[in-house]
Amino acid sequence: MDQEPGEKVPLFKKWSRWYVLVAGFLLLNILLFYFLTKHFS
Amino acid sequence: MSWPDWIVLALTLLGMIAYGLYKGRTSRDLDGYFLSNRMVPWYMVLLGIMGTQASAVTFLSAPGQAYTDGMRFVQYYFGLPLAMIVLCVSFVPVFRRLKIYTAYEYLEQRFDLRTRALTSGLFLLQRGLSTGISIAAPSIILSSLLGWNIFWANIIMGGLLIIYTVTGGAKAVAYTQQLQMIIIFGGMTVAGFMVIHRLPAGVGLSDVLHIGGKAGKLNIITTGIRPGGGGFDWNDRYNLFSGIIGGFFLALSYFGTDQSQVGRYLTARSLTESRLGLLLNGLVKVPMQFLILLLGVLVFAFYQFNREPVFFNQSQLDLLAHSKYKDSLVWLTHQYETTETSRLAAAPSIAANAATPADRSRAAARLLAAEQQKTGYKATVRRWLDDKEVGGDSNDTNYIFLRFVTDYLPIGLVGLLIAVIVLAAWGSIAATLNSLSSCTIVDFHRRFSRRPMSTEKEYQLSRLYTLLWGVFCIAMAQLAYNIGNSLIEAVNVLGSMFYGVILGIFLVAFYRKKTGGKAVFISAVVVEAAVIFFTVLSRQGIVKLSFLWFNVVGAVGVVLFSELLQLFMKRKTV
Repeated sequence: MDQEPGEKVPLFKKWSRWYVLVAGFLLLNILLFYFLTKHFS
Repeated sequence: MSWPDWIVLALTLLGMIAYGLYKGRTSRDLDGYFLSNRMVPWYMVLLGIMGTQASAVTFLSAPGQAYTDGMRFVQYYFGLPLAMIVLCVSFVPVFRRLKIYTAYEYLEQRFDLRTRALTSGLFLLQRGLSTGISIAAPSIILSSLLGWNIFWANIIMGGLLIIYTVTGGAKAVAYTQQLQMIIIFGGMTVAGFMVIHRLPAGVGLSDVLHIGGKAGKLNIITTGIRPGGGGFDWNDRYNLFSGIIGGFFLALSYFGTDQSQVGRYLTARSLTESRLGLLLNGLVKVPMQFLILLLGVLVFAFYQFNREPVFFNQSQLDLLAHSKYKDSLVWLTHQYETTETSRLAAAPSIAANAATPADRSRAAARLLAAEQQKTGYKATVRRWLDDKEVGGDSNDTNYIFLRFVTDYLPIGLVGLLIAVIVLAAWGSIAATLNSLSSCTIVDFHRRFSRRPMSTEKEYQLSRLYTLLWGVFCIAMAQLAYNIGNSLIEAVNVLGSMFYGVILGIFLVAFYRKKTGGKAVFISAVVVEAAVIFFTVLSRQGIVKLSFLWFNVVGAVGVVLFSELLQLFMKRKTV
């Protein structure tokens, strides 16, 4: 699932942390959009 | 369009062609022509992926979509980040390890030649047709709004880019996409600031959000569940669930199996840079689309303080002016203008007196009450245009943003924003032509050729196929013009008819190791026929299912049916 042999992952130690970042940022966006929808409707 | 705008437009486009020709020098072989010798850094991969996905219609249609239907369209992209993760885990490492030119080469190694040929053929069919429509759709909008001849609009939109795409291949595509995205982001940012700048004194972004919210334009998150416990609306296009599930399958299919995208990240220097480009796309895509849609809400708020046309596509009003409704149109226009005049007289004082959030909210509500008076007039115009005798286009969504640009933005900036639209089309179409050519030569010509070809011959043929596909797409664009309305929807529906099945084949290839070529080939043919049949039923209103779900049906259908067939075949052999 993760690194190929000899592959250096930028910023983090594992690609799985990148995946958590991307999924977490999506969740954050959805929550922010939900708040905006509720607040301004 | 004024002559300074023409100069800005011409200089931008000619500069882009020159830049593509200068940067596109590469080795004269397939590696150089289709993969830039695998030397592209991650940030160019990112901009290439984004530039390929964002077509002219993205920038024309999205602000108009927010203006009319609100910002819920952003949910369409919620599945994309998750798809980027799956691609990085499963698809990209395999593609990179096998050192392939097209995604479909992998299918021959995993299954057999016929499955590869079928999948590549489906891609060529779908992409060849839809690219013609992708050229025609913005051309029609520009020709209607600016009075351009449709033939020359198609040549500007889809023809000029052929010069650098044929000459420089993937490298020219990558470098021009990088510059195109910078100009596009710059142009759209300036447009956003200009809308805010043109709002009355005392009206800021917070007021815009309140106005948009009161009008239901900030409906960013919707569930698709009918009010009063009426269950889930499967025909509702954009909601949280269709966005995450349907959008995930669509994005996985588009980025994982469409050669126009696969060809971008295969050009990366390494697996790491391919992955980084895709994951950063997953991070920035949703906020970027949110900002483009917010531009539509800004334009909506702008028209609360400025005279709004009764219909944004003037050419359709001209059509009505020469129809049986000409006298009624004169009367309606007069009534509409009177309503607008009285509304606009009240609007600035309402804005100036809005001192507290409660005041602002009340002011926004009063403005919107006046807005509702206009709705009746607009609905009447649409009804007249829908009259078969008139044969008009009652949807002016894609004209809203560009009409604002041409009516209200200063000279020079209009030319720049028209250039933004054309460059967005170029980025997307250039990548597609490159991918159509690579599939034609790698998956068909070279694969089925009995005589081995020299590297130089392959290179020359690749350039020839790029040129031929370019000419084919322009010809399709000319034909699409005669089809008439709903071209953008046609692109989406056409994509959804094929993407699901292609994705299903790849999912079986990656995750169902025991399923063989025969089972997957038969399943793909049967499910594709079924999806086309359901699309026809859906278009006729017999089946109520939004086109996004066809991606799910196609993909899941191929996986399940091939699994069943494999079981059946095993039993027969035993």
